[in-house]
Amino acid sequence: MTARLFSAAPPWLAGLWRLVPRLFAQIAGAAGALCFLVWALTGGYFWPAWVWLSLALVLGLIVARRWSRLAPPGPRRNLETIGALASVLCAYAFLNWAISGGGYFWPVWVFLGFAVVLGAYFTYLRNQGADLRSKGERELTERVETLTETRRGALDVQAAELRRIERDLHDGAQARLVALSMQLGRAEEGLADRPEIAALVRQARAEATAANAELRDLARGIAPPVLTDRGLAAAVEALGNRSPVPVKVDAALGRRPAPVVESAAYFVVAESLTNVAKHAPEASAAVTIRLDADTLVVVVADDGPGGADLAAGTGLEGLRRRVAALDGEMEVASPAGEGTRIEVKLPCGS
Amino acid sequence: MRVVIAEDSVLLREGLVALLREHEVEVVAQSEDGEGLLRIVGAHKPDLAIVDVRLPPSFTDEGIRAAVEARRRHPGLGVLILSQYVEPVYTAELLAGGEGGVGYLLKERVGDIPAFLDAVRRVAAGGTALDREVVAELVGERRAVPESPIDSLSPREREVLSLMAEGRTNNAIAESLVVTPGAVEKHVSNIFGKLSLAPADDDHRRVLAVLAFLRATDAA
Repeated sequence: MTARLFSAAPPWLAGLWRLVPRLFAQIAGAAGALCFLVWALTGGYFWPAWVWLSLALVLGLIVARRWSRLAPPGPRRNLETIGALASVLCAYAFLNWAISGGGYFWPVWVFLGFAVVLGAYFTYLRNQGADLRSKGERELTERVETLTETRRGALDVQAAELRRIERDLHDGAQARLVALSMQLGRAEEGLADRPEIAALVRQARAEATAANAELRDLARGIAPPVLTDRGLAAAVEALGNRSPVPVKVDAALGRRPAPVVESAAYFVVAESLTNVAKHAPEASAAVTIRLDADTLVVVVADDGPGGADLAAGTGLEGLRRRVAALDGEMEVASPAGEGTRIEVKLPCGS
Repeated sequence: MRVVIAEDSVLLREGLVALLREHEVEVVAQSEDGEGLLRIVGAHKPDLAIVDVRLPPSFTDEGIRAAVEARRRHPGLGVLILSQYVEPVYTAELLAGGEGGVGYLLKERVGDIPAFLDAVRRVAAGGTALDREVVAELVGERRAVPESPIDSLSPREREVLSLMAEGRTNNAIAESLVVTPGAVEKHVSNIFGKLSLAPADDDHRRVLAVLAFLRATDAA
């Protein structure tokens, strides 16, 4: 109501209204000083204290109103208005009691009254599920929610895109190279009487085979087919079998996490096992994977010499970033002489 | 020899059919997916099914699943898997069920026509033909799981077993390792002994040895 009134008022009046607290403070200061002067000349009971108290009350109410209007309209502003009013009136009651010479401490009833009103209103708001956050807080929360969602969306798109690339390679370039090998093989057969040309054709076929092998390694690095087909447990088993160090795999997953989480976990294991083979070739490793309601826990531990230097480009930093992008956590413990243990927790509420 | 083919890429399917027909292998039916494979195997009772791992509609491991099912329904059916990838887990699944021959080759091996035809005939006849990359991955540099009888094999015996898994004959193994056929025979009988395979038909024992080998790896 007042807001509408003042927004409709001419600019000079609104400007004047903004000046009220300072103006009033100056007038009140002057009036207070004047009263003190009069009292000093006339003497007697120290009555200016009451004038000061009244002026302070009005000033307090003006400031309280200003302050509570900083909150966004709605329950939050109501709560702050009541709170500000309570502060000013409680202070007034206390000072009133003090100036009037103490005695029975009646302001306690004022305090209690406001406490009851504030408490009841707060409880009511909580039961209504009212949003008590300030505008800034609310905007920040919304922003974080949006960012989390879009980041996850981008990662999902990326994972799907990688799988698409792998499939395109498989159905496109790789299939053509296989067809090429086959045709070269048939050509070679027909060249039994031209051995020097047959040798050329055989060479060409070897090139096609090598190209296909390179594409296969590339595709496997992009999106391992066994991960797509059989899920994390099977893919990690395969990693363990492929590793030059002995690896014990214990993977128990009741369901399949989202593809982006699966592939992050897969690459954590792949990179960790590569590190074991590189830095602790005499060690053996154990991989444990557990999936509970909302977290995928991956642990890769080895009994090597430990003392892994995290800063020395072990690929761990890349893993950490990958895990962090999914709001996961990664812990690396590598005390000298006690092996290395990497634990990754990935949220996967679904 | 009567063969069926399940492959979704027209290019490869037609290439395979042409190649096999040139060498008097009868291709009795073709299919583009796993369901189709089961249908044509049921209808034509072939000696061998050549199957691509990745088939519609799922484009994952449809081919393996269909091949395992086909072997279950038609004991004695030989299955030769063609794949772009080396995946020992699939080989182990195939070997786990059925009695017929089993092969798992990388697709590009088709270019080496004599070797490919050899594998086709061997698997149709009940033997094995595992790609050397599959075998390499199985043996690898890895120190196998403890308590596996495979551990008791000497490095040379492992080498021989690897070549057996690829499906090679004793003579071929001897040639590849540059030793006499007699030496290979000795290694083979040592392998049978260490894996506790009772004297039986030699071909069958070879398959069993490979199976034991794969199981040991699969248990890791």
